[in-house]
Amino acid sequence: MNRALRSLAVLGVALVVFGPLGLIFYQSFLSEAFFFPTAHLSFEAYRYVLTDSGFHSAFGTSLIVSLGMTLISVPLGSLLAFLLARTDLPGKKWLEPWLLVPIFLSPVVLAFGYVVAVGPVGFFSLWSKALIGRVPWNLYSLFGLVLIAGLTHVPHAFLYVSSALRSLDPAVEEAARVAGAGVWRIALTVSLPLVLPSILFSASLIFLLGFELFGLPLVLGDPAGLLVLTTYLYKLTNLLGVPSYHLMAVVALSIVVLTFPLVYLQRRMLRTAGRFAVIGGKGQAFRPLPLGALRWPAVFLLVLWLAVTVVVPLVGVTLRSLVSSWGEGVKLTEVLTLGHFRDLWGYPNLVRGIVNTLLIGAIGGGLSVGFYAIVGLAAHRWQSRWVSLLDYLVMLPRALPGLIVGLAFLWVFLFFKPVAPLRTTLFSLWIAYTVVWLAYGLRLISASLLQVKPELEEAARITGAPQGEVFRYVTLPLIRFGLMGSWLLIFMMFVREYSTGVYLLGPGTEVIGSLIVSLFGTGALDLISALSVIEVALVGFILFIALRLGVSLHA
Amino acid sequence: MPDLIAENIEKQLGTAQILRGVSFQLQEREILALLGASGSGKTTLLRSVAGLEQPDGGKIEIRGKLVFDASSGFEIPAEQRGLGLVFQSYAIWPHRTVFENVAYGLRLRHTPEAEIKERVNKVLKRLGLDHLADRYAHQLSGGQQQRVALARAMVYNPPVLLLDEPLSNLDAKLREDARAWLREIIKQTGTSALYVTHDQTEALAIADRVLLLDRGLIQEEGAPEKIYGAPTNRFAAEFMGSNNRFEAKLAEVNGQKGRLEGEGWTLWGQMRSTKKVGEAATGFLRVERTRLSNGPGANCLKMKLASALYLGERWEYLFHLGELHVRVWGEERLPEGEYWVSAPENSLWIF
Repeated sequence: MNRALRSLAVLGVALVVFGPLGLIFYQSFLSEAFFFPTAHLSFEAYRYVLTDSGFHSAFGTSLIVSLGMTLISVPLGSLLAFLLARTDLPGKKWLEPWLLVPIFLSPVVLAFGYVVAVGPVGFFSLWSKALIGRVPWNLYSLFGLVLIAGLTHVPHAFLYVSSALRSLDPAVEEAARVAGAGVWRIALTVSLPLVLPSILFSASLIFLLGFELFGLPLVLGDPAGLLVLTTYLYKLTNLLGVPSYHLMAVVALSIVVLTFPLVYLQRRMLRTAGRFAVIGGKGQAFRPLPLGALRWPAVFLLVLWLAVTVVVPLVGVTLRSLVSSWGEGVKLTEVLTLGHFRDLWGYPNLVRGIVNTLLIGAIGGGLSVGFYAIVGLAAHRWQSRWVSLLDYLVMLPRALPGLIVGLAFLWVFLFFKPVAPLRTTLFSLWIAYTVVWLAYGLRLISASLLQVKPELEEAARITGAPQGEVFRYVTLPLIRFGLMGSWLLIFMMFVREYSTGVYLLGPGTEVIGSLIVSLFGTGALDLISALSVIEVALVGFILFIALRLGVSLHA
Repeated sequence: MPDLIAENIEKQLGTAQILRGVSFQLQEREILALLGASGSGKTTLLRSVAGLEQPDGGKIEIRGKLVFDASSGFEIPAEQRGLGLVFQSYAIWPHRTVFENVAYGLRLRHTPEAEIKERVNKVLKRLGLDHLADRYAHQLSGGQQQRVALARAMVYNPPVLLLDEPLSNLDAKLREDARAWLREIIKQTGTSALYVTHDQTEALAIADRVLLLDRGLIQEEGAPEKIYGAPTNRFAAEFMGSNNRFEAKLAEVNGQKGRLEGEGWTLWGQMRSTKKVGEAATGFLRVERTRLSNGPGANCLKMKLASALYLGERWEYLFHLGELHVRVWGEERLPEGEYWVSAPENSLWIF
């Protein structure tokens, strides 16, 4: 791969990132949607949005949700990370993969699961009513939304904190033990303070994700009249009757303006994070810290979290897909049916959605990994200003919620006539997915590339191999397992993706995730639950294969 | 014609000046050691020759062919320089067999398959690896991997063989054997070699000539005996071997000789610098040249035995005289007391 090819790869990324973003920027300064001939440059959209009280309250709600979920997920995630990485928690080998499951579940499926499980007439709510005479929770409230958002984002904190803890030299903890500290004191005064940069990093990440939440507030906030920025944007679509693209562009930009500084901050944090850690280079076996009498309370905490975050919504959605109706006074055993799954086949768009989901996951995911690999290799062992440009380029999509990337690509396909026919094909969806998951995908690739010691490539160069031949003979064969693992992870992410496809949804581009979102407006609970179960089963199957193959989920 | 000429190589990394203008030549069939502590720039110099680093200044020629010239921005990339490099970590490609690792260089040169087979097998046999041709790196011992790395670098007859600390990953016993073996193999092949090491014994043993590097500059250059036995440079005197240091004042200079005067002692030695009478100066004396004497004599000091350490193959005594501490090697346990320590005048170098 020579200089020209490498630069070309970086330019390709620039094109798919800046193109859509530029279009949003342009649209935000127009008086109406860009395809109206009467559209002209104007600040009208900004005036409307920035003075709209609905926008103000959505902004406030987004802020509260982001803060609240960060305050819940970071302490809990850090605690669980310490328990699993450093202590003799019983059954931790078996429990750990489950901790990451929420990452691979679609938030809209989870949200829907909560509705049918603990909503006003949910399974658990009615069981509770039968048992104690009342329902001691209210799902449709700001508190409910924050709590669920917090609990489902625990894995994000767990991932970063536990990997930092694992690279911590156990000797620093052993020294505290020898000095007389108990396990909790060690956690609070030695281990967790030493990984503080990672804790702060995960906090800023989760805070950022708070602004990008879409599925949870859509499903859980709506009935209570709560709007966050993304759902405010989504509501704008149907608000005025005519496409109000100029207003949507302003809201989209305002989200980017909020999130981009956070992404930039994270980049800075990541760079300084290394300075803190005490890395034990020996990797020797160490004895986990004994929890003593606290073992079982710790297990209980973990299992309780799992039950609330994974089991309750999944049980809810599965049960709902298996009953013909549900409400007060209905006996579960009398309404069991497989009818909803049979009914799915009566809707050609739903069948296409399932097939398309598989196609975009398996084939699209493979192509995306190929694209990420080309970009990753282009930047690999290349000291050039192009590479720092790429670093910044990759930051941009991270600041863009999938909903907005999907919207932007819709506009791209409407705006540029030569590519217009592609809008109704899976290609439009694939390129939007690829951009949304660009940062994640490149991180997977570079994690694999980091495993290749530079001397192995240098040895080939010295022996006489040009750069492209070095990649072909040494680098690619050495990362092929990493590439396969990346493919499985991207496969899962593409299957669970829902927000990116919302605006691109049309005949030919249906996928399970966006179908669920659009069906949600119609209240077709039977079909939604059946689709959700199929999606969860698909993700579960791939996750099972990935774990069997030993793919690391710690990206 | 020399196999390799490096002229005035400079390299800056961030704010650190790694190489400050290093020049040397590598003659045909010569083994040249680049010796220095970590941070001396020796590996950067080797990697610059290989083409893996781009120097900021200077010129490199291989067998009369220009491969790098900073002034005109000319550079031949690593893969076209045709050199062989043995890496410190060996860098055996883990997904290829020993045979394929070695054959790769020939394949890249479009050698016919039959010839590849013959040449690879020949070099494997020569290095005692013929029975391991189908193995992978993880099935080999450290010593075997090191030999595979050597075979891979030699098989296409590079004009210059580059070796980057090739023995440092072997354990001590193996390293001693490998030293002799490596020199023999390189000499048999008749190739010239640039050998980077931080281990002075290794450099002295393997090389025909040694370049001593410190902070990006060549401090001393010459045959091993000269570098060790007659250094002209303070850094070389201090870096090589184990030394006794005599911090003192230069009291008298008489031609090539000078007299050091410390608190309660005085010694004659060889002047190795242009210091003047009255200036502070340091005397260096290799520990193995420091002797015990039966009684008073020229250049002898009466010192008190402070401690004696048993090191296995010898004893090490530590003598004190006020602030002056001197180490001496001997063969037996010494009872406490005072002894005469002799510092041979010709071996005491004054800088």
